[in-house]
Amino acid sequence: MSTATIYQVEVPQPKQHGKPGGIMRHLNFFTGLAGGVILAAVFGYLMNIQFASGAQTADFASASAGPTFWAIMVGWVVGFLGGMGAFVGPIRWMLGRDLTHDDAEFMAGKGQGKFRYWRFTTDHKVVGIQYLIMAMIILGFGGLLAMLIRTELGVTWAEVFNPDFYNSLVGTHGIAMIIAMIVVVSGPVGNFVVPIMCGARDMAFPRLNALSIWLLVCAVPPLIISLLVGGVRDGWSVYQPLNAQAGPGMIGYQTTIIVFAVSTAIASVNIMTTILTMRAKGMTWSRTPILIYGIFAAAAMGLYAFPFYQYSQILSMTDRLINTSFFNPVEGGSVWLYENLFWLLGHPEVYVILIPSTAVILELIPVFMRKPLFSYYIAIAGIVGVVGLSGLVWAHHMYMTGWAPQAGYPFMLSTELISIPVGFLVLVIIGTMWRGTFWSRLPMMAVFAVVFNKMIGGVTGIYLSDVPADQYFHGNMFVTAHFHYMLMGVALFGAMGGVAYYFPKWTGRYLDERTASIGFWLAFAGFQLTFGSMFVAGLQGQPRRVLQFDNMFNLSNWLSTIGAYTIGIAMLIFLAAIITSWRSGAPAPGNPWHAQTLDWQTPTPVPLDNFPVLPVVKGLPYDYGVPDPLAPEKVEAELQKAGTP
Amino acid sequence: MSSPVLSPTTGEPVSTVFRRNRLGLIFLIVADFSGTMALIISYCYLWSLNVNNGWAPNTPSLDGNLDVKGRAPLPWAADWPFWAIFLLTVIATVVLWSGIRGLRKGHHAQMLTAAIGALLITIGTLALQWWQMATFPFGLENGAYASAVFLLTGSTFANLLISAFLLTGVVGRTRAGLISTDNPWQAKLVGYWMIWICGAILLGALCTTFLKESSNPTPENFGGFSLVNPDKPTPTPTPSPSASPSPSAS
Repeated sequence: MSTATIYQVEVPQPKQHGKPGGIMRHLNFFTGLAGGVILAAVFGYLMNIQFASGAQTADFASASAGPTFWAIMVGWVVGFLGGMGAFVGPIRWMLGRDLTHDDAEFMAGKGQGKFRYWRFTTDHKVVGIQYLIMAMIILGFGGLLAMLIRTELGVTWAEVFNPDFYNSLVGTHGIAMIIAMIVVVSGPVGNFVVPIMCGARDMAFPRLNALSIWLLVCAVPPLIISLLVGGVRDGWSVYQPLNAQAGPGMIGYQTTIIVFAVSTAIASVNIMTTILTMRAKGMTWSRTPILIYGIFAAAAMGLYAFPFYQYSQILSMTDRLINTSFFNPVEGGSVWLYENLFWLLGHPEVYVILIPSTAVILELIPVFMRKPLFSYYIAIAGIVGVVGLSGLVWAHHMYMTGWAPQAGYPFMLSTELISIPVGFLVLVIIGTMWRGTFWSRLPMMAVFAVVFNKMIGGVTGIYLSDVPADQYFHGNMFVTAHFHYMLMGVALFGAMGGVAYYFPKWTGRYLDERTASIGFWLAFAGFQLTFGSMFVAGLQGQPRRVLQFDNMFNLSNWLSTIGAYTIGIAMLIFLAAIITSWRSGAPAPGNPWHAQTLDWQTPTPVPLDNFPVLPVVKGLPYDYGVPDPLAPEKVEAELQKAGTP
Repeated sequence: MSSPVLSPTTGEPVSTVFRRNRLGLIFLIVADFSGTMALIISYCYLWSLNVNNGWAPNTPSLDGNLDVKGRAPLPWAADWPFWAIFLLTVIATVVLWSGIRGLRKGHHAQMLTAAIGALLITIGTLALQWWQMATFPFGLENGAYASAVFLLTGSTFANLLISAFLLTGVVGRTRAGLISTDNPWQAKLVGYWMIWICGAILLGALCTTFLKESSNPTPENFGGFSLVNPDKPTPTPTPSPSASPSPSAS
């Protein structure tokens, strides 16, 4: 039997069948694309033949449109994943053809240059960068739709789009941005940074890691294509019975959610297992960086909550395609069942977005203040408190739906309670800044922006959690402004801070902070203009999701649209800074910030296996300004004191 | 003392990899449990509400009329197939674990026999599940109970299909000597999965056996798509000539 030397140990190897990597050598994004398109066409064709009855629905659409579109979606997902090589691993396992060390190294992208980013590559650093690019693409798509929405609302003297298309823009923008915000921090930071920060050589399940990103890639096209067949006209929540009554575009949305939920579950399992089982020796829970807590918390919430959302869409799909009646009251179904299943994920999902961004801010603030994190344990308590309460607040989205009015007050209480652990996190940030002198760099600017936005979003959220106040605010622009302050104001600006902070580690180059700062502050100003004006429109009573409104709302809508375009320009500037710095920025050393966590102790670019020898942690992660007990002069003094020569 | 078996890809002892995989599997089961709970909650929710008296299996309303009196009641699903499927899955799990236990004592042949036995039982269970779904006395469109039962059994079918795949792998890997006394971990992981699906099938069987007749036999009209104006007195319906006389009239 052959052997391979792995970290100075001779390890017996299974039989090598052909070249390392086997069939995976021939599979990549382009074969995935071809597989997806071909299988989608075949499935769609076969389903169309099956339903070629010429029957029509009440509005004279073809009765086969729904099943055919569904078959196309299934074909796309199966074909794309097959073409990428996602099924090779399970089949090899079943056939007993285990990977050799050489196979594993090929799968990790060793020696494949930039082409490894187009493959089913298992290296967590490649997956992290793939998540970053994917998050930027989805943000760009969602942002473009936001521009179109604001164009319609800003042009108050004419109708730019027809109402159906406008509704599609709103719904598709909503879900695209939710997906983007969920992955924008947890994806790149959770995959690239967390394993190194833990002191691990890779994620616990490298192949599942690759599967999670390619599932995300495969989940997005159905949402985009759905715009061509009627789109998602019912907001991102697609309440029943609107969901059931919508055109076939809804099937695209449902496919996206079902596939994305699988991707999230797999990613959550991977991140949680990595953190629990692969932390370096000596990295006790009291020495674990706060970012790891934040990413773990987000993964935990996603793991238990996402299946409810996924099943709300599976049941909706069966109602639509095979005549079940989960949500059809005529046959014993209930639309409230949908709302409950949806919001059982829908509210924890807000914290799935918020907590990682807040954790990034908590992580970088001690670096730029050169101070230990104020009340590290309170920060942990805040994160634990949010996770604990996040599953008990979902019905505050349903105060006005007529479902269980007597439950409104308990949910009001639980919602107001959750502001306490969230408040802990803000207080820890402010406490760390207190009487400090900060290092004025772009990541630190993100701290100020996030705190500002979070205060406004948090305080306005308390109004909305209040049942009587919500009777007025519900369904108007005040709600829209509030959740943008929380989701975009915290997640996006936190992510921009995270990108600025980790850019040297990810790319080996410094970010052009001057250009990026222009983009950042312009985005901040545009953000305040857009959503500050939206608060005013909401207080005046402008309803959400309407195309036409009274002239009294014109001014605030003009301002919002100007603000939105400002954000758009600002994001392009920020993107330009990223691209130019990535291509030709000044080379950065391994630890340009002189940070203390393990992720900054590796060379840049980070080697394939991160650490040649696994590290041992002997101190706290945020001992900035605290004398190093292991400093050479101290050790020498101690030895002299003890009389040792 | 024999040296530990090392993972060919990472060089770690396979026992370390096993502990990691076991935790990952537990988390995957948590996700699957949440999905199962979404179905169980849906079942119990619709059972407790009995919206528009539409819980029990009925012939469907063709015109959107909420009055169920004109619809023919259909029978409930028989209980025994749910429990037979549960029992067979438990037996498959016990058989697999007996093989793992034998493997610990060095009985490789016992493991192989047990894995084949568990696989055959699971395939039989899959066939029974298919037969049950094909012979329900109602269709998908016959009310909320029918929908919930179909989805629960469909979920069981999917779980059994995954189990059959995993057991096929265990059989092949045991034959190839990849599952051995020194390296029994993957069989154990499949064993844990089997224990979970026993639990998932049990939850479904309990619901379908003990939650049939709704606890809310006289529900209020939940509205829906009725066009009746509640402010106006409802006109007395004119009996149609084809309607059969009610028992009291006769």
